[in-house]
Amino acid sequence: MWGSVLLILACFVALFVAFSVKDVVAMKKRGGKYRIKTTMAAYGMLAPAIVLAFIFVMLPIIYSLGYSFTDFYLLKPNDIHFCMLDNFKDIFREIGAKGDMYHAIVNTAIFVVCVVPLQIGLALGLALFVNRKLRAVGIFKVCFFAPVVISLTITAYLWMQILSPSQYGLLNSFLGLFGAEPQDFLNNQKTAMLWIVLMSAWQGCGYQMLIFLSGLTNIRKELYEAASLDGATAWDQFLHITCPGLRSTFLFIVITVFVGACRVMVQPMVLTGYQTHTMTLSYYMYVQGYTYRWVGYSSAVALLMTIVIGSITLIQRRVLREKD
Amino acid sequence: MRNFIKKAVALALSCTAALGLAGCGETPDAETGAVDESGNTVVKVMFHVDESSAEGKAYKQRVSAFNTDYKSENIKISATFKARDDNSMTGYDTELSSMLNAGNLPDIITFDAPNCASYAATGLLYDLSSLVPQDVQDDFISLNEYDGKLYGLPIQESSAGFFYNKALLDQAGVNVSGYTVENPWTFDQFKEVCQKLKNAGIQAVDMRLRENTGEQSTYLLYPFIYAAGGQFVSQDGFTATGYFNGTGAESGFRFIKDLVDAQYTSFTVGADSNSDFMNGKVGLYLSSGWTIPDIREKYESNFPSGWGILPYPKGTVAASATGSWSFGITDNQHTDKSKIIKALLYLVTPESSKAITNATGMIPALKSVETNYAAGSPESVLRNQLQTTGKERPVTVGYPKFSTCFRNVLTAINGGKSVAEALNTEATSLQQELNKLKGV
Repeated sequence: MWGSVLLILACFVALFVAFSVKDVVAMKKRGGKYRIKTTMAAYGMLAPAIVLAFIFVMLPIIYSLGYSFTDFYLLKPNDIHFCMLDNFKDIFREIGAKGDMYHAIVNTAIFVVCVVPLQIGLALGLALFVNRKLRAVGIFKVCFFAPVVISLTITAYLWMQILSPSQYGLLNSFLGLFGAEPQDFLNNQKTAMLWIVLMSAWQGCGYQMLIFLSGLTNIRKELYEAASLDGATAWDQFLHITCPGLRSTFLFIVITVFVGACRVMVQPMVLTGYQTHTMTLSYYMYVQGYTYRWVGYSSAVALLMTIVIGSITLIQRRVLREKD
Repeated sequence: MRNFIKKAVALALSCTAALGLAGCGETPDAETGAVDESGNTVVKVMFHVDESSAEGKAYKQRVSAFNTDYKSENIKISATFKARDDNSMTGYDTELSSMLNAGNLPDIITFDAPNCASYAATGLLYDLSSLVPQDVQDDFISLNEYDGKLYGLPIQESSAGFFYNKALLDQAGVNVSGYTVENPWTFDQFKEVCQKLKNAGIQAVDMRLRENTGEQSTYLLYPFIYAAGGQFVSQDGFTATGYFNGTGAESGFRFIKDLVDAQYTSFTVGADSNSDFMNGKVGLYLSSGWTIPDIREKYESNFPSGWGILPYPKGTVAASATGSWSFGITDNQHTDKSKIIKALLYLVTPESSKAITNATGMIPALKSVETNYAAGSPESVLRNQLQTTGKERPVTVGYPKFSTCFRNVLTAINGGKSVAEALNTEATSLQQELNKLKGV
């Protein structure tokens, strides 16, 4: 254990030194005067962040990468063997047999496809709303942003109360006013994911609203005034001024919401538990690693997830950048 | 100069702190365990509850009593408390794994009964067969065994049954006084009672089906499959095909489905924080012994005609839920277990058992513990049931997966899927997991 940590640390330090040397060489090539004190001070200031990043980010990533090629079982941490690509074969076998991994992929895809446009649309709508000169707009901003501040677990528990199948559940009480029978929203295999999507979009959109809002304030007011003088409608202004003006903000939001959506776990965990119709990739990975104790297999799932999400993110960036 | 003084002071402080921390620990001893500064052998015990809870306080009291009684023998228990995660147990497992990895497993741990197989098979637990005297073993209602060897001694026992609201049963014209542990009701009689309650416009039974997100529903419902003549896995715990989807298991799950189809129960009964039974809206309520103090302390006035517990109904055989947390000795670096076993046996003496169960309201794990349960009282029904029809959950290394598969069958029933189809799907899934586990 400590041997491998030291080895990784040595590699990290070597990388660090290599970058420092590269800096020095580059500086000398530019003809600048090299001052070792300046470099040392710079790296000294960076050191705390680098140490923390190494311990809490790099080390787990490197370990997880290594574990994905092993048969690591949680209760046998001292008996780990390399199993080459066996974990990855198991993953594809599981997908082929339409097992849990298959359901996790399908559910995650459904979640992503639904939540990304919904959450971004809601965020944009709210941002446009609070960007107007209204009375008490601050109160609206606070209300829309409040769910972001509350823990996701607590939010999910609140939604459990709203969606409670009891006749006293908030939504069922409301529907009861129209004579509807109490519904079991979260145990219904057809509607459970829909509610998870709605809850997630509601919870997360406040944060994107703020980012959109900062994007909106960067669009010059003169453009709207000129468009008004030319007879452009509000819709024309939105389409031809607001949307292009928000393109870089939009790119950032699409990528962050997409990556966040791919990692959804807390909502299904709290609202429905580990069920075939709501399990997601992150939840599947967690259950495989911690409940079933297959750390190696779970790490392989994590690695595949990273590769797939990373690739899609790069494609998104390229596609959206080309339009710039 | 000023900088130099600053650096020197900082270095001196660091060294002092490091030395101080080093001095805090015990001296490791490869065989018997750590030895503290007074020369006591320290037996490290890890408990699964919060130390401020009633159960935690009871453990602390027993630890303190041991340390007093064994002072002359220079043995001392050092207790740590790691509160479990009720739903997934993952936190406790992870803690054990970290300790195993770091080579500092405590000498004694507590573990939930279904984990016995995996902890034993992976070598985490030490074989107690030759360490625990036979008369002590015989005094336990149940033991944690795997592959013919003893790995755990239960701290306390739990069982479940059907709590009933006498006023509602009277209203439906149902008399259940004849249904006892010795003469349990049958599946058909159970349905008859449900039908009468339904006819009287009362929600018949809360089978806790909505709680199929954690271990709760598995724990409460697995006896129905045994009672119907079913099994979950083979004797060695590695074959699910033909067992999990066998005819016995199918008829057990079909019985549950019949109750849903006939609207005797549903996946939404009791959704309002378990209060439907407590508020007099449900006739029967499947729950464990921990509901007894709950009713007595909070809801007694809601049962003016009284309440009680009925045993599990009998199918081809009688079976009831059992299994709670146990003590086990870990297979750590301390090879001499002589002092550790003294600590373990002290923690399971009748005095310890009584002190702990007084705090938890659970049933003592030892037959010899005197209880003052009145005849026919809820506690006596559960204790009697444990001793006569208690059947443990399947002993398999793949228990976590089994529990998920069990719940998936319930979800499939809720979704209107056929029982046979759901069992086949889950049996295949469970078998794949067990095949993987053969290599562990």
